[in-house]
Amino acid sequence: MKWNNRTRVFVLTVMLAVLILILYMIGLLIPEEAVGTDFQHAGQPPSWAYPFGTDNLGRDLLLRTLKGLSVSMTVGIAASCISAVIAILVGIAAAAGSKTVDGAINWIIDLMMGIPHTVLIILISFSLGRGLKGLLAGIAATHWTSLARLIRGEVLQLRSQHYIVVSRRLGKSGGWIMMHHLVPHLVPQFMVGLILMFPHAILHEASISFLGYGLPPEQPAIGIILAESMRYLSAGMWWMAVLPGLMLVVIVLLIDRLGENVRTVIDPYSAQE
Amino acid sequence: MMYKENGLGNRSMQYRKGLADRAFAAEWVRRSSVWALIAGTVAVMLAGCASEKQSASGLQQSQKQDSVVVAITSEPATLDPVQGWGHGNTPLIQSTLIKYDSDMAFENDLAVSYHLDESGLVWTFRLRDDAKFTDGEAVTADDVAFTFETAKAAQASVDLTFLENIEVKNDTTVVFTLSRPTSVFLNTVASVGIIPQHAYGSDYGTNPVGSGPWKFVQWNPQEQMILEANEDYYGAVPSIKNVTIVFMTEDAAFAAVQAGQVDAALTAATLAGTEIDGYRVASVSSVDNRGFTLPMLPAEGRVTKSGYPIGNDVTCNLEIRQAIAYAIDRGLVADTVLNGFATPCYSENDGMPWNNSEVVIDTDVDYARKLLADAGWADTDGDGIVERDGVEASFTVLYPSGDSVRQAVAFAASEQVAKIGIQITVEGTSWDDLSKRMFSEGVMMGWGAANPYESYCLYQSAGAFKDDFYNPEGYQSEETDQYLSAAMEALTTEEAYRNWKLVQWDGETGTAMKGACPWVWIVNIDHLYYIRDGLDIGVQQLHPHGASMPLLQNLCEWKWEEDI
Repeated sequence: MKWNNRTRVFVLTVMLAVLILILYMIGLLIPEEAVGTDFQHAGQPPSWAYPFGTDNLGRDLLLRTLKGLSVSMTVGIAASCISAVIAILVGIAAAAGSKTVDGAINWIIDLMMGIPHTVLIILISFSLGRGLKGLLAGIAATHWTSLARLIRGEVLQLRSQHYIVVSRRLGKSGGWIMMHHLVPHLVPQFMVGLILMFPHAILHEASISFLGYGLPPEQPAIGIILAESMRYLSAGMWWMAVLPGLMLVVIVLLIDRLGENVRTVIDPYSAQE
Repeated sequence: MMYKENGLGNRSMQYRKGLADRAFAAEWVRRSSVWALIAGTVAVMLAGCASEKQSASGLQQSQKQDSVVVAITSEPATLDPVQGWGHGNTPLIQSTLIKYDSDMAFENDLAVSYHLDESGLVWTFRLRDDAKFTDGEAVTADDVAFTFETAKAAQASVDLTFLENIEVKNDTTVVFTLSRPTSVFLNTVASVGIIPQHAYGSDYGTNPVGSGPWKFVQWNPQEQMILEANEDYYGAVPSIKNVTIVFMTEDAAFAAVQAGQVDAALTAATLAGTEIDGYRVASVSSVDNRGFTLPMLPAEGRVTKSGYPIGNDVTCNLEIRQAIAYAIDRGLVADTVLNGFATPCYSENDGMPWNNSEVVIDTDVDYARKLLADAGWADTDGDGIVERDGVEASFTVLYPSGDSVRQAVAFAASEQVAKIGIQITVEGTSWDDLSKRMFSEGVMMGWGAANPYESYCLYQSAGAFKDDFYNPEGYQSEETDQYLSAAMEALTTEEAYRNWKLVQWDGETGTAMKGACPWVWIVNIDHLYYIRDGLDIGVQQLHPHGASMPLLQNLCEWKWEEDI
């Protein structure tokens, strides 16, 4: 059987999604006790028993990293979903509303984009009392801007299309036009934007936790693991930083690739590239 | 992700721009993750290079034989003794009336003699007449009186509330009158450096003049402080002539040692295992202790003056606290968690002359289990945690996040008490949050001072539930209060020490772990320093809490060995 481009990409996408899902599930399924401390085996370099080595408290770094990744992914998914919903609401409001609303929203988007994300997240997270809640709110409140602008552009462009004008002349209601003409165009944009937001959110989660403004220190999150490892780098315990860091990079690249593939599959402009 | 939008532009333009945005965003993610990878690799390679370089540069002697460069982590806030400089340590630049010798007994410094009258209220100090400030002026009784009056008025870190009146009899005699007998008066006197009345102003804290063995030269905040030997000092003039104290983190100090740039550097237990050519690791015992404070009252809805909840239904039980105390193998914690750079701790003042040797307990897991079983705690639901009347023996212990030693000690202890069915959840948090929750949850705390007054602060009933971290567990006992008052008002040091010991254990009860057990003490942290071969840092006293300044306590005894 000869697969065309689209089928090949489609299969690849499903495989990527399954791989990411498996990694995520492994992290969720690791019990709390497995990442507990064990001072008899503290500070061991990578070996067959501990592929990622152990940290200064004797915690298995492979398990801790996987658990941390699933925590980071949960934060990333939740934050980007919230962010994407904000984006679509704001985007549609800007495009469908009056000139004033549009201007105001564009101004807010420019303002939000003008402030470095990290600083803004730290501010929001700090004012909401740190922890998971503050971090989620911080990431969700900062990542919607570019997608919102995209949605706005999309809606503006669609509204001037002939078939929509014709539909309206034929007496179709706003809701009907929305469901039959706008939504099919917006869903792919939304999905791709959502997936491409994950890696951003995860990287931001990791960096904010690394700086100490995010998750509490006993939570196995990648940022926490990396922050802890910094204290032991000069003592020569390189594996505490390198391997978890590498896993973070791998997972971010995987999700990024997944987003690209989803776009290729569902975006008619690039499907046959 | 910085780009500008031109307001309402061409619509199809915007659509394409949208696509470009998205591609750009994806590219950004890819790029930044690659950068993260590269940065991580470079950091590790640098660390690797640094450790290879040590053998080459570690041998080179960068310093002249009469100067020394010392790296410590914490910088003093001021050099003004009235504002707290030198409190608990020697003030270096100033001298005190009396000081501690290496056995923690008092010896004369500026004073040639002192005595207490029979009422126990009037101390007379006679001063030496040859002491001079580094600006050439003589140290007189007026300066002493000025120092203590200023310190009392400042109400900073020196507690002089019991000091009623200071009288200058003549140039070399000063008389202190106390409002009530105070045995720790001598300890207080030993911690207050004498300041010059003629040269004291608002900038004294950054540009001090004193009569101590060291003369102040220069202080660049957050960078370094330079001292030189005071050649006119009335005591033995230091053998080292120039001292540069640099302030850096343990990591930076470690790198500086590897590069051979410093002669002595504070380091951490995690780093001290690394051998560096040309240096040795000096380990100094301390009373810098770590242990749990455990709330002693049940949670009944009471709150502190500041409005924070009091009490914990698990730790309010004596058998729980004692079971934890007996279950912890302190030697094992010291060996595994702190690479052996710690000693078992049984009280706030192990090794001090006012410590009661009865406070020592042996690890006895079976006894701990028996304590729990006798009180009715049993694991009926098979989850590994004992319970009684529906209350699980489970509670939280807080530590300030970022303090890796407290974190590790807390985790190690919780691992050990899990064996007897008590579950301790270790949680790192900010000092701010900790100070609100310390009245209702366990805390990994640390104290340790060269003054028994600390015990008074830790255990007096009136000090309970205050925001000052001394007595968050809420230890209150009339008996202890009586011993504490007796110790504070004792007329002789011996009598005071006898009462300080009774506070800890009087044969039936006390603040010891086998008594009321308000604390579960775990380890005293050894203070660790890399010292360049050939540098003799003398006999170090038992260090108090904080590892930076105590190292410099005996700076005037330091010397370079001749044959190097």
